[in-house]
Amino acid sequence: MSGGGRAAGSNAREQMLHAIRASVSRVAPHPGAHPAPSLDASWTSFAAVLASVGGEPHAPVPRQELPGFAVERARSWAAGGRIVAEPSAAALLGGAAGVETAAATASPSEFADVAVAIVRGELGVAECGAVAVLGSDAPQRALLFLAERVLLLLDTSRIVGDLHSAFRALPPDARAGHHVTWISGPSKTADIEQTLVFGAHGPRALAVLGVT
Amino acid sequence: MTLALDDRARTTLPDETSRQRHDAAVWQLRAKRDAAAAAVPDFEALRERAAAIKDHALDHLDVLLECFEERAVGAGAQVHWAPDARALCETVESLLRARDVTRIVKSKSMLTEECGLNPWLEARGFDVVDTDLGERIVQLGHEAPSHLIIPAIHRTRGEIGALFHREMGTPAGESDPERLMAAARRDLRARFLAAEAGISGANFAVAETGSLVLVTNEGNADLGTALPPIHIACVGIEKLIPRLDDAAVFLRLLARSATGQPISAYTTVLTGPRPGAELHIVFVDNGRSRLLADPDRRRVLRCIRCGACLNTCPVYRRAGGHAYGTPVAGPIGSVLAPAIGIPSDDARTLPYASSLCGSCTAVCPVRIDLHDQLLAWRRDAPALPPGLARAARVAAAVMARPRLWRAATRAARLAWPLLGVAAHVGGPAAAWAAARELPLHPGASFRDRWRRRVAGKAAP
Repeated sequence: MSGGGRAAGSNAREQMLHAIRASVSRVAPHPGAHPAPSLDASWTSFAAVLASVGGEPHAPVPRQELPGFAVERARSWAAGGRIVAEPSAAALLGGAAGVETAAATASPSEFADVAVAIVRGELGVAECGAVAVLGSDAPQRALLFLAERVLLLLDTSRIVGDLHSAFRALPPDARAGHHVTWISGPSKTADIEQTLVFGAHGPRALAVLGVT
Repeated sequence: MTLALDDRARTTLPDETSRQRHDAAVWQLRAKRDAAAAAVPDFEALRERAAAIKDHALDHLDVLLECFEERAVGAGAQVHWAPDARALCETVESLLRARDVTRIVKSKSMLTEECGLNPWLEARGFDVVDTDLGERIVQLGHEAPSHLIIPAIHRTRGEIGALFHREMGTPAGESDPERLMAAARRDLRARFLAAEAGISGANFAVAETGSLVLVTNEGNADLGTALPPIHIACVGIEKLIPRLDDAAVFLRLLARSATGQPISAYTTVLTGPRPGAELHIVFVDNGRSRLLADPDRRRVLRCIRCGACLNTCPVYRRAGGHAYGTPVAGPIGSVLAPAIGIPSDDARTLPYASSLCGSCTAVCPVRIDLHDQLLAWRRDAPALPPGLARAARVAAAVMARPRLWRAATRAARLAWPLLGVAAHVGGPAAAWAAARELPLHPGASFRDRWRRRVAGKAAP
């Protein structure tokens, strides 16, 4: 930084781009897309990896049994606490008693005391136990992290083997909702003597309920 | 001959017990990395691809930055440019001031460590809270992070318990990681909810979509950016990748190389601000374009900050991160330090803090030739550590004169038994000998042995 005062915004931009342009030759080619490895894309594989990262897989249930099963699971977890579903999950559950729907207009801090959040997952990745949650399904991103426990609903036909296939299988408008959040197990830390502790800041537990 | 590194190492890891504990903790990460890498059939192909994508991105960096800016602005974000550390600090400060923000939560960002953003803001009355547990521990202890991804790896649970007792009122003697974490969670949750702005880094910036990719295990970057109405992301220019599809290549490598996890708990792709909120992205150079301009050094900018080279480095493992005196420790820190910001003479000696064993190169997920880079910096270092400079001058003078060289080696051979003793008396030799055994002398010089060998062969 020169002593002559702060660079104005546009000057700083030009200064930086100028320095970069002097160095790049725009020759090195992009190597192209990585070929997806052939990995097992079954619920069983997904569930095994999810369990290994501290998540709880729940054996798939048929679509028509989903509301009863999911609400029961949420109630036993919540023990009387607040249960809030993101709008797309609420639609799948069909307005079950005792389950609030997260209002898109609510302030995020209104979810600070939520016991269980129910959220629709778009797709699952077997190699890493991750589930993609779309912003369009879960506009209240804070809810995914403020809730004590999170229940993800995942269509088992939407499981892919690897992360490349997963990025390629996202719907074209996936980013319209401002975020895509990949969740693999509960919040965790090992910052104190490498001891694994769940519930670092976010959810202490995370379950994925398969839906067939 | 001592580097400042030696003194700093003794401060953080003062005794053999603490060094062994640190070594074991770090080596455990290396072992987990190996197991995770072996479980992925295309791991080596991923490393090749990741390196090639980064080389492509760096060679088109101006185009990618402009493309990112256009897409991010199109999605409602604002983009700012900071040529150096001071410009970053001033940009962030003015954004905060213009909105009357004083309470800030921060998620882990090595870039803001590098640029001294926390001290800058604290000195001007802002309340800045680091939220990654390890970062919070070192912030409360008024020290710097010592590892890229486990900032407080140099601290024991007992030390952290004592710190939390003093700073957060946990019971005296409490050292259970779960209960300490619970106390920090309670304390930080209130701060997340009260924060007026969140500051983050970014693991990747995707040019094609103008998206940022944030990766954490704790979810602190998500709480810190989903709750407050303002999100400021500080992003080094080397974080650009061309396409969203490329992110999968790096995400498959990152957590496996860092901790052996198949992926981190949370990977968030953010495109524009959430409705009603602001997203500011500040691109920072701070010496990176110097590396970009040098075709032999540019590869260092491929780094995705996984920490694998630290975990495997015999010097890092025994010396600890604070020994380096730089924001990033270990082999990668030693090749960044001489280029980033305004490098000190001390930073320029860091390439000597290596055995050049090449283990760092062997594990790097983006295939940076770290040990060659260390060697290259040594070659160019304008500031050889003073003791080493003197020794090198003497050696050069002796080696340039064959008769003097032969006399010197003969003298050394005769004095060999004494050298072992002298090394323990004091002076520079003692510093060298403290951690090394003097090998047995073979009894004759190579020249003598060669002459004998040739004579033996020539005999009928």
